[in-house]
Amino acid sequence: MIDQTNPQPAGLDRRHFLKTAGVLAASAMASPKTWAGEMVSLPFENGARELVTYPQKRPLLLLTARPPQLETPFSVFNEGVITPNDAFFVRYHLSDIPTRIDPSSYRVRIRGAVNTPRELSLADLEALGDPMDVVAVNQCSGNSRGFFSPRVPGGQLGHGAMGNAKWTGVPLKRVLEKAGVAAGARQVTFDGLDRGVVAATPDFVKALDIDHALDGEVMLAYAMNGADIPMLNGYPLRLVVPGYYGTYWVKHVSDITVVDSIYAGFWMNPAYRVPDNPSRSVNPGEAPKKTVPITRFSIRSFITSLADGVQVRAGRETAVRGIAFDGGQGIREVQFSSDGGRTWRGTTLGQDLGRYSFREWKTAFTPSAAGKFELMARAFNRAGESQPLEPLWNPAGYMRNVVEKVNITAA
Amino acid sequence: MFSRYKHSLVAATLSVSCWLAGATPLPAAEITLPPETAKLVESSLPGYATALALCSTCHSADYQRMQPPNLPRTYWKATVVKMQKTFGAPIPDEAIEPITDYLVKTYGAERATVSPPRERGAPKQGR
Repeated sequence: MIDQTNPQPAGLDRRHFLKTAGVLAASAMASPKTWAGEMVSLPFENGARELVTYPQKRPLLLLTARPPQLETPFSVFNEGVITPNDAFFVRYHLSDIPTRIDPSSYRVRIRGAVNTPRELSLADLEALGDPMDVVAVNQCSGNSRGFFSPRVPGGQLGHGAMGNAKWTGVPLKRVLEKAGVAAGARQVTFDGLDRGVVAATPDFVKALDIDHALDGEVMLAYAMNGADIPMLNGYPLRLVVPGYYGTYWVKHVSDITVVDSIYAGFWMNPAYRVPDNPSRSVNPGEAPKKTVPITRFSIRSFITSLADGVQVRAGRETAVRGIAFDGGQGIREVQFSSDGGRTWRGTTLGQDLGRYSFREWKTAFTPSAAGKFELMARAFNRAGESQPLEPLWNPAGYMRNVVEKVNITAA
Repeated sequence: MFSRYKHSLVAATLSVSCWLAGATPLPAAEITLPPETAKLVESSLPGYATALALCSTCHSADYQRMQPPNLPRTYWKATVVKMQKTFGAPIPDEAIEPITDYLVKTYGAERATVSPPRERGAPKQGR
């Protein structure tokens, strides 16, 4: 479907890791300090992670170097509801990734079941008008996979494969209208400049239903928190699919193809599928009988101000805060428990940055006496949905949203 | 290379406003990735050299290293076969068993020196 023999958009120099690894090793790119290997320990077996500094990034947890997968340290989520660009997680699937892009010659092609195929520059996109902003969470489907029990293979992430940013760009709808969607269109596929090292590796291509692609919310973003999108997050153009898992947020978007069928490439089927039932789960250890593509986030909340194992003062008030988000209904309420979920009380929500954003919540907690306390937060959205008290399980390790626990001691 | 990198950071910061304003042509944005540090664990098993030659073509050794340590032979074999059949890695059929043997004995349930597992029992399924 995507013509691989066609030259890629101009302005791109691919750098092949294998050819240049020696050169890179000799270069002075990385600060020696960060390569000394400060470690973070995620709380599951084999969870030791090195903190590494990648271009345009602060020290992040290294999951894999090639292709790059970097996780945000959880403490960042207590710094504010917007995740800074230099702290935003990185997740590639394929190792041939662009490291040099010339924005003036960058092009995105719109082809397939359209009336007029287009090839648009970044300036052309801007000239379409209707620029839009949305504050939206991007979360990896496998965020928190390391906490699955029984464990499942895949990227062994803690809770840091998520982030919340203000995305600026043009509605995909405007771009598709520019080309004119032909009758009979069923889906739109998105390909970026990342590719496999060997030609036979399935290219990372994702698909959205045509109605979703035309909903006016899906956008081609050219800015993130008011700045260029970092290279490792998809510079200069990234698909933003509010409320949907990050797998759809194609980076370095180069090819948009309208198709009259249901696209069945590897990254839509069999990859990134969840059990075809309302809970998107099966009994631990079982294989689902039928699966569907993963779509919207399940609802989640986190305590960010207190880490597991910390000590607070008995009889003294401790401020507690955190974040909550869902797939787009918006957060209605966050409740807090300091007794392991036996009793719950309301919290105060922070500023509403939109229904796709992290929502801050705050409360105060005064441990009545010395001892151990199991703290929890649980969110409710505007549709009344909440989080399970027992974890849901599926073999791919997707969509974790159990009520998380933070164990602290008062003394 | 170093100076180009610094230059690209400046370019990255400035270019949104520049190209939106339709101003002068922009310098390219460029990054240089740090070298990878993970290495496959050395072994006298025959599959080690093969894994070194074939797995490393497409991905760093972090992929093997990070997996939960109790994954069984069925998982590792299915993964090697997936790399060959689905991802198109040039793995000869006769290399599948030796690579699997190396992986499960180095990173999986058949490790010779197994650190005390925090949670018992391997997943029943492989992917």
